[in-house]
Formats: sequence, structure tokens, C-alpha cells
Amino acid sequence: MRSLVKTVIVLGLGFVLAGIPCANPAPAASKEKPIKIGFIHTMSGAMSMYGISSEAGAKIAVKEINAAGGVLGRELELITRDDKLSAETGLREAKDLVLTEEVDFLTGTISSAVALAISSYVEKEKKIFIVNISQSSQITEEKWNPYVFRINTNAVPYWGYAPAIALGKTWKPKKIISLGFDYECGKNSLAAFKEKYLELVPDAQIIDELWAPLGTTDFTAHIAKIANSGAEALFLACVYGGGEIAFTKQAFAFGLYDKMKMIQPCAGDVETWSDVKQGDPYPKGALATCRYPFWAIDNPKSKAFVEEHKKMVGFSPSYGAMNEYVAIYALKKAIEKVGAVDTEKLIKTLAGIELDTFVGPVLLRAYDHQAMMPNWYGIIEFTPDLPFPHITNPQIIGEEGYHTIEQIKNLRK
Amino acid sequence: MTLEAALGQVLSGISLGMVWFLIAAGLSIIFGTLKILNLAHGSIYMLGGFLCYQVTSAFSHVPGVFWLALLVAPLVTALVGGCIEILLLRRIYGLDMIYQYLLTFGLILIVGEVCKIIWGAGYNTVAVPWPLNDTVNLFALSFPKYNLFLIGMGVLVFVGLRALIGATSLGAVVRAVTHNREIAGALGINVPRVYTGVFMLGCWLAGLAGTLTPPMSVVALGADVSVIIDCFIIVVIGGLGSISGAFLGSIILGFTTAFGLYIIPKLAVAFGFILMIIVLIIRPRGLMGVSD
Amino acid sequence: MAEIRAKPPWLHARALRSVLISIIFASLIALPALIGKSWLNITIEILIMALAACSLNLMLGYTGLVSFGPAGLYAVGAYTTAILLTRFKMNIVPAMIAAPIMAAIVGWAVGWVCVRRTKVYFALLTLAFSQIIWTIIFEWYAVTGGDNGIVSIPTPEFFFPIVNSYYFCLAVVGCCIFALWRIVNSPFGRTLQAIRENPGRVEFIGVNLKRYQLAAFILSSIFLGIAGSLYCVFSGSAFPDFAHWTKSTDMLVMCLLGGLYRFSGPLVGSAVYTMLAKTLSKHTMHWNLILGVTVVLLVLLMRNGVMGFLSERLSRKKQARPCA
Repeated sequence: MRSLVKTVIVLGLGFVLAGIPCANPAPAASKEKPIKIGFIHTMSGAMSMYGISSEAGAKIAVKEINAAGGVLGRELELITRDDKLSAETGLREAKDLVLTEEVDFLTGTISSAVALAISSYVEKEKKIFIVNISQSSQITEEKWNPYVFRINTNAVPYWGYAPAIALGKTWKPKKIISLGFDYECGKNSLAAFKEKYLELVPDAQIIDELWAPLGTTDFTAHIAKIANSGAEALFLACVYGGGEIAFTKQAFAFGLYDKMKMIQPCAGDVETWSDVKQGDPYPKGALATCRYPFWAIDNPKSKAFVEEHKKMVGFSPSYGAMNEYVAIYALKKAIEKVGAVDTEKLIKTLAGIELDTFVGPVLLRAYDHQAMMPNWYGIIEFTPDLPFPHITNPQIIGEEGYHTIEQIKNLRK
Repeated sequence: MTLEAALGQVLSGISLGMVWFLIAAGLSIIFGTLKILNLAHGSIYMLGGFLCYQVTSAFSHVPGVFWLALLVAPLVTALVGGCIEILLLRRIYGLDMIYQYLLTFGLILIVGEVCKIIWGAGYNTVAVPWPLNDTVNLFALSFPKYNLFLIGMGVLVFVGLRALIGATSLGAVVRAVTHNREIAGALGINVPRVYTGVFMLGCWLAGLAGTLTPPMSVVALGADVSVIIDCFIIVVIGGLGSISGAFLGSIILGFTTAFGLYIIPKLAVAFGFILMIIVLIIRPRGLMGVSD
Repeated sequence: MAEIRAKPPWLHARALRSVLISIIFASLIALPALIGKSWLNITIEILIMALAACSLNLMLGYTGLVSFGPAGLYAVGAYTTAILLTRFKMNIVPAMIAAPIMAAIVGWAVGWVCVRRTKVYFALLTLAFSQIIWTIIFEWYAVTGGDNGIVSIPTPEFFFPIVNSYYFCLAVVGCCIFALWRIVNSPFGRTLQAIRENPGRVEFIGVNLKRYQLAAFILSSIFLGIAGSLYCVFSGSAFPDFAHWTKSTDMLVMCLLGGLYRFSGPLVGSAVYTMLAKTLSKHTMHWNLILGVTVVLLVLLMRNGVMGFLSERLSRKKQARPCA
């Protein structure tokens, strides 16, 4: 019996392996070859919500475009791969997409490590890569190459300049303490925040900088230290996702939201808080930035997008979904302008193109291929019309949130 | 450092340690008696968290639903543990350690994926139950009641386990089997049943820890892998097979994590491993373990 | 009753084995002409992982030292080459040679501590050290690039066409595996196997147990370092996850899958594992579940791996029926 089972297993393995050459079916000869877009994101594990949402955003765009006749008569085809939040896996999938599936474009990524890895790869392979979430400013600044585009805000405005500008316009605290995840994004975001805020409020001080290992969900010790630090305000550097929810609960339990001013940039992103109801701990009164306040955007296209996304995956769209939607349409616009899928010509067209977003046209800056996506900021509260906590009275920060071209030139030297 | 600050750090360290203790105690008992290094212990902990969420959200209209979850979830994880022991682990006792390691690693993958299929990939929250959703004022420090409750639970379970293993006849049976499986069997003790019972107890403890964590934290995938290494460290420092060792080790690691913030934040991550190596070199049976 | 056979069985097996190896080697050399770029890519990865798994098996299958942390030494090799190529702009040859040297040094230091203990304590020590290596790589941002890793590593023009990379890998891996083959079949290798079988007795005949175990550890580290360095050059990058304990489990699963107690086991295991990972992860989002179930089934039912199973079958066929 046992040897029979073993035989079956070995034969099964052999069968699977033999079937590999037959695994990739030949494309339909009758239709025009589709334009293939390789989508790499985190589809499993702790950050998979963003991957699933971004994929939905891309799928909605692809569906709409194909229904309207495609691009230059060709259908768009989206091929999804999971990078498992690992740069090694992401790079491997990118290679496979380019070499086996022969995709024309690559898009996606949430992890900056994955984005940087794929970015260096596409330079060699000469394929366009559009980043929709990865935040690290290095992607479009120090480590940039012409094949990379980013249609998203980046760490500089989102985690640094925008909260600093917002803080400078509202509370202007003098003694600030910071807490961040201990990795590159955290360090850089604090540096950007400090730089901008001390420029606006020169006599302010960051009295201490606390760090927690990336992915921690227990901040009790840090919070105890913060509560006893004598600071007026707390700045959270790159604490997002599950860690942020845990932090909020723990800080709420310590009464921190009543004791000091909280600057919690990521609290504005609804996908983290959509499960939180009145009465649960939430970032009460915190100053937050948001990348897609869909409840405040009075645009029928945006509303339709939100509904379609909810139907597809069961939750409200993240900014990643919106960015992918904009990215796919941007590709369509550029390809139609150029008249062909010619990478070099497309790069020239995309650089400086006007993106059609839900809040009007947004420039895709030519120098660094960074879209000047707006950041909204506001104070987190519950309002009667929505079940989840969100930024109230949102103000917008546009291009002034980003590094200027001069600053980037200096960084690239 | 002021008194409040020190007190805050001490209490934070201990409450962190207590959750770890619950998981590490289970891991330690399982290794001590069954001689199996159960990598999937973190997965049982994570499963406990998901079950807690499931109960609290499915019965959210019931007042005190968290306490119901606290009762139910660990029982379910204990049952799951029982199934794993009977169906899988029984076939690999006595085999080389590599097989145990890989089998339990396979279980991590399976349990993790099943959790993802059932509960999805997002974040799930559980509210802090009444009457613990408040702070207590100790000198000038306000400390959350729920964390004090965690400390209390940890101590209660520690005392309970010590009493169970040390002072009851059931405990004597377990100690006999731990000490010498063959002779215990020869004396008429149903060793396989004891093994199953001990494994279920370990899983009950992990499930309990998993149920106690969500109100102060978040339920999400990835907890299985991140918690298991910390628990290995604790179990090694305290001594494989010793409950008191697990208790001591948890407090030590909790303290080093809390106070490491003040001293060298950068190396705080590596503290645990360095301690683990030192213990393994100088005194491999750990602070309170039995010598092999 | 001993069976009397017309021909000594090992002669027959050896001839068969040589033919098989020649066929495999010939097809490996001819491979670029037969398959496309992307498959060649995969084959390079299989070759590198085969070397890593084979190095691990020197400790695992041959010496009986269960290590939970081979990934640490693999990462040391990869990062040594990566840092030398990017930060010090060294030539490729010294950069690659430095990798096994560095891995040997780290392996000697780590191994010296680990062999002081046995069995589960040895394993836990290797795990702890590999996680420390991971932490150092992750935290030392200035040198290792931290969590971003090191990307766009400048490799010589020679490696750009994938066929050249392939032959280079094939040559290096081939030589290393040949070296490992010679090691396990030497008196030293036989002593290691004796240590695995009965450490007590080996000590009684005057063998310094710890010295041999440490030697096995260092040799294993050297070849793991070479594998890491190859992967770094081949993929043009190095990431902290190269040192993570989950990467170590990948290597352990490959050894188990192929068979711990045969030299060809890890080689076959790495091929099967990589191919499975590639095909299945394309068609399903639940690759983890399938891998988990596969590993559980392997441990329960096929402990000697694919090669163990095959050799069992073949030897059963060859056995003459015992006399009544």
C-alpha cells in the first residue's frame, strides 16, 4: 500500500513536470496579438490587501478599455504575479514575465525593495515599469533610470513634506517626539519631515527618535516612553498597516490621543480603518494625510469606480487601485499618441504627459517621471455620513509637497 | 528616568512577556514531553486570533462576547491540535529531528493558507472588552487596565500549570511520561493518550495567547512566522521543557525588549539571539531546564 | 543465504551510472540549443540551488549535522561578492573568489561555536547565528543597503548574453559538485558518514569528532558561499532574505525531496522543487498550501525522497529471489 502511494506521488510529480512544456498555450491565431501588461504585487501575506485592490483597479481599467475597442485595435491583457513581499521573488517574477510571457509593460509593487530590484532590471531589458504604490524616493531620485515611472505620491510628500506643511499651517508644536519602523522608509520619512518642518518652524525640536523593528505589533514599551517624554506632539514615521492599527489601539488605551497632538500620516488611508466603527479605538483628532479620499471627491467617474471595485473584491478601493487605473489609461493615451508599442517613443511621450485623474489633470513630471499626485490632509474624526473614521475638512497639497528638480539634481550627483 | 517612566517600562515589558509566556509554555511543554520542536506553534497562536475575531464578530450583539471567545477559541485550537497530533505527529515520533522540523514547517504553510482562504488577507480588529477598556493611575502613570489583565492572566496560568503538573495525579502521569516513556508505558500508562493530551494542552495555551492579543493589537496573517522565533529564544533561555523557565525567559526577553529601547535601539532586535547563543554555549539546558 | 550472482552487482550499477551521468552532462551542455531563454534562466537557478543543497547535504546527510541556518552562509557569499563589486569596484574574478573565503571564515567562527553542542542545541545555534547574520545585513544600511538590498550590480559584459552566464554557471557548479563528490568518497568523507552512524564509536577509535564536524561545517560553508556568489552575479542583486530561515527551509526541503542519503538527492530535489514552484505558482495563488501538503506527505510517506524511492525500486528488481 505504502509503495503504491509512493509510486503515485512520483508519477504525479513526473506528470506535472512533463506537462510544463505544454503549460503555455499558443495564443489564438485569429485575433490580433494583445498588449500584455505584467502586474507584480503582494498578493499573499500581511500586505496582500493592497495587491488585491491594485489588481482590481487595473482590471477595471482593462475591462473598460477592452469594451471600448482596446488600444489601437488590440486588447489589453493583464498577467498577475505574486512577489510575496520579497525582492528576490519579485525580481524572479519580473524576469519570467519579460522572458516567458513577453509582456510589453510592467507595473505594480508595494515594497520599495521589489520596485528598486525591478527598476534596475527593466533598464537592462528596456521595458517600461510603472510603480503604483512603492514609496521610496530613491526610485525616482537617486536610483532613477528612464524606464521607470511612478504614478503615486512618494515618501517625500506623503510621509515628510505634506505632514510638515500641514502641521505648520495648523498646530505648530515646538517639542516633537517621533516613532517609526526601523528601515529605510522610516528613516527617510523622518528626515524629510524634520527638514521641512524645521524650515517652517525654526525653533521647534525633535526631542527623541524612537524606532521599532519593521512589522512589530507591540508598542507598549515605546508608548510608555512617549507618554513620559514631555513632548507636545508625536510624529509616526512609516508605521502603517497592521502595525499602525495595533499602535493606535495601544496608544488609545494609554490615552495618548488626549494627551498630545498626533501626526499620523497613514491614518488617512481608509483601507486600514474600514473595519473600525464608532466606539472602537481610532486615531482621534490626529492630523493625517490621505491619498484617495473618495468620499470627498464629487466626480461621477470616481463614484462609479468605487462601486465597481467594491463589487469586484468586496471592499472600498485603496489609492493603489486608483493609481493603477490612472496608469493603465495613461499607457493607452501614450500608445495611441505614438501609434505603436515602441518603448523609446513611449518614454518620451509619457514624460511630461497630463494624466487623467479623478481630480482633474495631473502632470507626470518629465525630469524624474514622478506624477505630481496630490496629497490631502485633515483631522481624523467620525462623521454621521460615513461608518469609518476619516480626514475631515480635507485640504490639498500639490506639487509643493515634492522635492524640486534642483533638489533631485543634487541628490543624483 | 523617572519613576513613572521606569514603572511604565517594567509593566510594558512584563505584559509583553506574559503573552509570550503563554505561547512559549506550550512550546516548552510539548518539547519536554513529546520531544518535538513544534514550528507550527505560532500558527496555532494565529489561528486562535482569527477564531477570537470570528466569535466576536459573529456574535457581536451578545454582551460580553469577548469572554465567550476566550472560552471557545482555545478549546477549538486544542481540538485542532488533537487532530494534528493523532493524524500526523504520531507517525514521526522517534524520527530524526529534521523530519519533525520539516513536517511542522509544512503545517505552518497549510494553516497559514487556510486562514487566508477563510478570513481573507485584510486586518481584523477585536474590541477591548468591558470592564477593561480604561486606564488605571499608578502614581502619575496611566496604564491600560487590559495590560494589567494580561499580566494577571499570565501569572494565573503559570500558577495553574505548575499546580497541574506538579501537584495533581494527572500531572504526575505527565511527569512520568516525560521522564521515561518506556517505563511509564510498562507501568500501564497509556502513553499515546498522554502525548495527545499534552499536545492539546500546548495548543490550548497557544490559542489562549492568540485570543488575548487581538484587543490590544490586530489579527492578521504573518503572526505565525514572526512570533515563533521569539518563542524559540524564550524556550531556549528558560530551558526546553520547563514551565518556570518559560516564565523566567519571557520576563527576561520582555525586559530586554522594553529597556533595550533606552540603551541600544539598533541592536534590540539582535539581543534575543545573542542571549540565546550565550545560554546555549554556557548552559544549554537553559536557566531552569532539566539536563539531557 | 547469500545469493551468488554471475556478475558483481556494483559493476553493473557503476556502468549504468556512468552512462546516465554522461547523458545528463551532454544534454546540459547542449541545452542552450534546445530550449528558450526563460527556461535557460530557470536551469541556471536550478544549478545554483543544486550546489547549495548539495553543500548542505554534506553536513546533513553525510555527517548527520542538522543545520537550520545554511542560508546565512549562502548570504555571506552573495553579499561579499555584491559589496566588492559595487562599493569597491573590484574585478569579477577576485570578487567571486573572495566569497567562499569569507564564507569559510564566517563558517569557521560560527561552526566552532555550534559544534560544541549536539542535536537540537546544535540546530538552534545554527538558526540563531543565521538570524544574526540576517539582522546585520538588514540593519547595516550603509554597507549592505539594508532592506533594499543591493541591486544593479555591475557584472562584466561577458555575462549579458544568457548563454554565456549559463555555461559559466555550469562550469563552476560542475567543478564544485565534482569536488564534493570526491570529498564524500574520500577517507575523510567515509569518516563523516561513520560519525553520522555512531559518533561514540568513532571517538573510541581515536577520531577527533569536533574537528571533523567543524571541517564538514567549513567545507559546506565554502560551497554555500560559492552558490551565493553565483546567484548574486546571475541575478545582479543581493537581498537580506538570502539569509532568512525560510530560505534555509527551502534548501532543507530540496534535500528531503531528492533524498538525504544519496549524493544525487539534493541535485534532483532542487530541480523538482524549482520546477514545481515555477509551474504551480503561475496557475494558483495557493502555492503555499500545495507546498505545505507536499512536505507533509514527503515526511510521512517518502522519507528517502525521490532518489531514495527510485533506488529502492531498482534494487528490489535486481534482487534474486531468496532460496526457500
